[in-house]
Amino acid sequence: MTDVIDAHDLRKQFASRGGPIEAVRGVSFAVSEGEIFGFLGPNGAGKTTTLRMLTTLLPIDSGSATVAGLDVAREPENVRKRIGYVSQLGGADDLATGRENLQLQGRLYGRENDYVAARVDELLTLLDLSSFADRRVKTYSGGQRRRLDVGLGIVHGPEVLFLDEPTTGLDPQNRANLWEHLRRLRERGTTILLTTHYLEEADALCDRVMIIDHGEIVAEGSPRELKREVVGDSVVLRVAEEGDGHERARALLTTAPFVSSVTQADDDQLRCYVEDGASALPELLRLLDSQRVGLRSISLSEPTLDDVFLAKTGRSLRDGGPAAREEVTA
Amino acid sequence: MKLARDTALLCRRSTLENLRNPVWLFVGFSTPLLYLALFTPLLKNIPYVGGTDVLDHFLPAILALLAWGSGTAMGFGTIFELQAGVVERFRVTPTSRLALLLGPLVSGLGWMFLFDLLLIGVGAAFGFHVHVAGLLVLGVLLGLFMLSMAGFSVAMALLTKEISSFAAVINGLNLPVLLLAGVLLPISIGPDWMKVLAHFNPLYYLVTAARSLGVGTFSGGATWQAFAVLVPLAAITLTWATRVYRRAVA
Repeated sequence: MTDVIDAHDLRKQFASRGGPIEAVRGVSFAVSEGEIFGFLGPNGAGKTTTLRMLTTLLPIDSGSATVAGLDVAREPENVRKRIGYVSQLGGADDLATGRENLQLQGRLYGRENDYVAARVDELLTLLDLSSFADRRVKTYSGGQRRRLDVGLGIVHGPEVLFLDEPTTGLDPQNRANLWEHLRRLRERGTTILLTTHYLEEADALCDRVMIIDHGEIVAEGSPRELKREVVGDSVVLRVAEEGDGHERARALLTTAPFVSSVTQADDDQLRCYVEDGASALPELLRLLDSQRVGLRSISLSEPTLDDVFLAKTGRSLRDGGPAAREEVTA
Repeated sequence: MKLARDTALLCRRSTLENLRNPVWLFVGFSTPLLYLALFTPLLKNIPYVGGTDVLDHFLPAILALLAWGSGTAMGFGTIFELQAGVVERFRVTPTSRLALLLGPLVSGLGWMFLFDLLLIGVGAAFGFHVHVAGLLVLGVLLGLFMLSMAGFSVAMALLTKEISSFAAVINGLNLPVLLLAGVLLPISIGPDWMKVLAHFNPLYYLVTAARSLGVGTFSGGATWQAFAVLVPLAAITLTWATRVYRRAVA
């Protein structure tokens, strides 16, 4: 397989009142033909900035990138012909119909009327937009509008499609529906690069995921590989008694041989990573019981991409930011 | 070729958008119409400017006012399209960058000329004497000025990026520019310091030329003075706007 996107040490700084902000600090990665590749990270991680550099919308400060075999900085015009981009805003004309939006977009790619008309019909069918293609876009629901946005991005049959937070604001049903459409596009040979801050989206949709935080790559691989990397399962427990029970439990677990790491998950919760939950749980209970540490609750879960993020950054992606209070590694 | 094709596509789009949300067209056209209807009667009884041919002097100035208004309003559309993601959607296509700027401008120019014709038609019904040759030359000046102000307005919109600062700039300029141009009453009846100040206002040259061309007078210097000011002005503002546009949407 050939690399359709190849990025080397991409960097971007923005000026601000408090001095320059390094939005992207040396990001390198490659995406193969026909992959769905996801940037996963919290808001402000540098996902959109990276995407905008790759799509010619933002000059690259340093580093280089090729898309569809073309250098983004040197041949922006030719890159534009071969990529599609759907921004967070979409940007369809509200007052025009879906069909009119698609037709104009197709013509702006330099295609002739006949070609565009046929292609638009094809897209309307592909994206289930036919029944309201001639209604004004302002009457569309969120899911319908998002599918139209995708249509605007692929009207010229691009090799690579870039999507910035494609399902933000959609309900779960519409989200799953859009995933289905994106998978269908991939089957037709389109390489897809998307940004998301939804763990489920990265997990369910992407072949490979790059986790990005503070402008740097934290981890990269298939969702399965990444989850395997954090070794095993996580056990979340809450200690029942007042006083030093919590501290004693943490001290015990930190030194226990079958626990690979312990983090403070919430105010009164401890999260331990264990290699194999099913065998570690009884040992863990025995250990705590032997030292007379009572429990209010205990739960075992298979790792999620959030665990990967937590293990790599010490923060949870779900609450989007504040650093975990403490981290103890065995 | 590509520039012309892309400009035509985007001009058509802007025109359709205007037709589908005609409230702005209505506002744009009703302002000069209201001036004609509600200000002309006052002028009739004022010495120096009044008299029976009052429309011959006043209507051309209103056309100049419309050019100012049509031009400076263009940036509002730019800000809306920036915020709605429309500009970005077009930028990732291989569309000519200059066409992205020119498409809406050409559409705005078309609307202005249509309104000019309507105003002349209405004026003629109430006694305005139509001098075709003079009005054709005036049309060139109106177009130059409208495009200059549109270029300025779009560039300001791209620099300010949000509606309140942009509106502050445009509204802040509006009144001094109008008062110092002699749109409502000619500057020639004012004191000397006003006449001096007016010479720094490009709209003044357009209004003065319009009053003269409106009655079919080509001599007297007003017309060539207007060309001498407005041609470089258009060159400067459009070059500047293109540069701002290229930098903002490279």
